[in-house]
Amino acid sequence: MGRYLSVGVLGVAAALSASFLPHFIAFVGALLGNFTPLLTDARGQLNLVMILVICWSLRASLAEGFVWALVGGLCLDLLSILPVGASSAALMIIAYVVNSAGAHLLRLRILFLLAITALATVFMSAFSLIGLFMLGNTYDIASMVRLVLLPTLLYNLIAVLPVHAFVRLLQRRLEGGLQIAPHSLSLGSEMAARE
Amino acid sequence: MRSLRQPGRFLTLILMLCLCAGLIALSFSGVLTPVEGLVAAPLNGLSSLFNRLSLSLNATFEELNNLGRLRERIAALEEQLARRQVESITLRESASDYVRLKNLLAYTSPLEDQEFLPADVIAVEQTGIARSIIINRGTRDGIGIGMPVTTELGLVGRIIQVSANAAQAQLINDENSAVSSRLQATRAQGSIIGQASGVLRLTMVDLDEVIEQGDLVITSGLGGNFPPDIVVGQVTSVRQFEFELFQEAEVRSLIDFDTLELVLVITSFEPIDLTVFESADAS
Repeated sequence: MGRYLSVGVLGVAAALSASFLPHFIAFVGALLGNFTPLLTDARGQLNLVMILVICWSLRASLAEGFVWALVGGLCLDLLSILPVGASSAALMIIAYVVNSAGAHLLRLRILFLLAITALATVFMSAFSLIGLFMLGNTYDIASMVRLVLLPTLLYNLIAVLPVHAFVRLLQRRLEGGLQIAPHSLSLGSEMAARE
Repeated sequence: MRSLRQPGRFLTLILMLCLCAGLIALSFSGVLTPVEGLVAAPLNGLSSLFNRLSLSLNATFEELNNLGRLRERIAALEEQLARRQVESITLRESASDYVRLKNLLAYTSPLEDQEFLPADVIAVEQTGIARSIIINRGTRDGIGIGMPVTTELGLVGRIIQVSANAAQAQLINDENSAVSSRLQATRAQGSIIGQASGVLRLTMVDLDEVIEQGDLVITSGLGGNFPPDIVVGQVTSVRQFEFELFQEAEVRSLIDFDTLELVLVITSFEPIDLTVFESADAS
């Protein structure tokens, strides 16, 4: 079920990342720009799709994590300058690491989540930058780190915990739904037996 | 961390990465373009919806936030309007002279022949590194690669990718954007380059040219990528050193690229390919 859910959730997340969130971040940035020098001229974006993939891969099976990474990457690339499949590859590596390492670090989940989000943000930004370099674009790395990577890191770290809570809620609902299904089937069979 | 090295899991990852590499190759070769257009259509629709929602919310918040400042601005604008009315009378006289002279010389300005196609901005670049927008017009509406994108306030950028019903435009404040420009007052030539901070920089201006704060920068049409005489921005500061070959100026576009809602694509303009002459020179 989680696999099919990925299309809707990640599609909405990608559309939000390309439309609503940049405006919202620009608005908040303008409000906080006077207090936080980091946000002056900042161009970073909240990578909601990447965070959703991380949070989902933490508890789900590796196959489900890969489906989320593939769908999320496709949604990102369809609304981006990067070729289709580029973000999927990066997200799959992230999903693999999260799914493999996360199972061993369940007790440290919050710390692990923050650390993996920070690492994944750096990885995704580097991956996008390499992709853009390969397309013939050149960028000043120092400016990119200051104006894109650091603000993106900040936004992603702020968003990861609420998104994780949302994903857990969704996963619990799905787990609950799966438990009800066999019960309802058995009721049906009982009634059939009575008849 | 044992599972990181489990062969079955690792093999699956390698297979999935091969699948992605295949997708990238197909995307590069253009085989996937029709499918991409089809799959991107609902995403573009959703983005468009969210974009409209956020712009209207933004506008409401800004209006509330700027109420005091808006009152002061209205007063200042009213004063300016009074001054401009006097100027407009003089200008109207000049305009009538101009029309008469123009008819005499049968002069046609290139901008008058341009055809504009309005388009809604439906998404912005997600990587944060490149600066581009996606508009809701594509090849079906006659959009082609290289067409300039403007608003009534000036130049926005140029089309770099097109699908059937959407197109991606690189903004002029992208670091990889270069626009041949000139100062309207002195006709000094230069090039407008986007900066990482989002401001525009006018470069390659000869040291003996005079640049003043407030000078208007317009496209020169050199290089064949943009039509001439489109407003690019206004000079905010000048940087000149004797030991450098050229002087530079910071230019502020009149457009707020973060809140772009509606743009105009110049569909009648075809970019001119000058690479033919470059290769002829080289040979």
